[in-house]
Amino acid sequence: MIKSNLIYKYVLSLLLVLMVFLPLVVKSSFVLEILVRILLFAFIGTAWNLLGGYAKQLSLGHSAFFGLGAYTSTLLQIDLGISPWIGMVVGGGVGLLASLPIGWLCFRLKGPYFTISTIATANVLMLIFLKFRDLAWGAEGTTIPNLGNAPLMMQFDNKVPYYYILLGLLIIALTITAWIERSRMGYYLIALGEDEDAAEASGVDVVKVKRNIYMISAFLTALAGTFYTQYIYFIDPQTAFNFNVSIEAALVSIVGGIGTLWGPVIGTVLLETTTILLQSYLGNSIGGIQLTVYSLILMAVILVRPTGIVGYFKEKSQARSST
Amino acid sequence: MSDALVINNLNKKFGGLHAVNDVSFSVRENETLALIGPNGAGKTTAFNLIMGFHRPDSGSIKAMGHEISGLRPHEVCKLGMARTFQVAKPFGGMTVLENVMTGAFLREPKTHASREVARESINFLGLGPKEKFAARDLTTIDQRRLEMARALATQPKILLLDEVMAGLNPAEVDQAVELVKKLSSRGLTIVIVEHLMRAIMAVAKHMVVLDHGQKIAEGSPDEVIQNPEVVRAYLGSGYVKPQGESKHD
Repeated sequence: MIKSNLIYKYVLSLLLVLMVFLPLVVKSSFVLEILVRILLFAFIGTAWNLLGGYAKQLSLGHSAFFGLGAYTSTLLQIDLGISPWIGMVVGGGVGLLASLPIGWLCFRLKGPYFTISTIATANVLMLIFLKFRDLAWGAEGTTIPNLGNAPLMMQFDNKVPYYYILLGLLIIALTITAWIERSRMGYYLIALGEDEDAAEASGVDVVKVKRNIYMISAFLTALAGTFYTQYIYFIDPQTAFNFNVSIEAALVSIVGGIGTLWGPVIGTVLLETTTILLQSYLGNSIGGIQLTVYSLILMAVILVRPTGIVGYFKEKSQARSST
Repeated sequence: MSDALVINNLNKKFGGLHAVNDVSFSVRENETLALIGPNGAGKTTAFNLIMGFHRPDSGSIKAMGHEISGLRPHEVCKLGMARTFQVAKPFGGMTVLENVMTGAFLREPKTHASREVARESINFLGLGPKEKFAARDLTTIDQRRLEMARALATQPKILLLDEVMAGLNPAEVDQAVELVKKLSSRGLTIVIVEHLMRAIMAVAKHMVVLDHGQKIAEGSPDEVIQNPEVVRAYLGSGYVKPQGESKHD
């Protein structure tokens, strides 16, 4: 046990060093683009996993917070000239606050009904930003004024700083997750995800624990929204509240292993590399073939390893200790 | 000795069904009380009302001097009451130790302290060698043990046991009877719902009989099994006092 803990620490430090020095070696902006995508979705997946994985509250509406974060920082930047660095934290706060009424409504429902209600809330938010043109540019959205290399306004003339921002965010999210996993809250999350009645009878305030984890998850997801808008210099309701963000957040966690620390990271690496490989090998043949193959691979993974990659190894080690 | 749990004129209707109809009884501190009656008599509903899973239509429930009707289950648990479920509800993906730690966290928010309390409960119920097993891999009796250990880890004063012996073979029933007695010897007040008369006679000094939501009899086991109404509603006219429980006394 102690030995495997030590190995884990070595591997982790090695991985960290590797990730920190990677941009010094990798110069291709295509590869950096891929790395940024991987880090972005690993981060969103990790945020989603707190609620969807540990507490098994399958939200497919996390784009609500992604979009709120994106719009908050952009509005602050364009209307008031406030730096997106501050806007990012404020956006996180807006996401966190928004999770309270959304959770108050959606947590009344269980299982698939909860999931549907989260999709609906994200859609309602998108429609609000789409229809109320005075609020924020309506359907056509807006571009972020390009200031060249302006680190204080979260703008850079190459991709490397973006990479480091995301790496930092991911490390924060993973640290929070690791801490929660070991604390009382982690046990409570898994317990209520398994059986709410039994959790209540064991002294777990199910309503409060769900609310708290939803706030943390929403806060982190909103940070990603700000980042993404700054990264692509553009915002409109369709990209900010994109359903694909919600799907991807859930998907990377499910494939990697929901309710595990490294599940979303491993899931993202696998899914993103698969997407890219398929695109480069099959992209020029029949249109849409790469998406078909991608979906088939996805189905196969879910069928063969329903608990995800990390979940599978966890079960194996559990089975070993039970015999 | 004072009363640990006092229930007065408790009522609960589900649509047209009067599931619990004006039921009153009290349980003394460190007493083991058995709640018996045919299926659908309202025993489990009574548990759900006491623990806060359902809200009573009227009536009062006092535990350790606090009025608890209308509180939510975790609040009732915090006041010192824990339960097991008729169909065991372990947290399947967690290990035995993690299951019980979840209960222990109520009084010990720190992981280390919680683990200590959990280990004590696990060992008390004889699950020590299986603490690393996934809960879903346990046998029926071990799942019942696990539920009791998890309940015990919340450090309750009152323990509600809902059919902990259902589905056990005779040898396991004897083990379960011993466990209930052991829990009682820790000073716990126990309310047990059970069908198995042999087991009830061995553990309970006091009985309450429910039928169609109403209390039809109350008293010591010997009084209750001779009550003609209890015989008619529940035991059946062919009932003879079980032999062999004397070895548990």
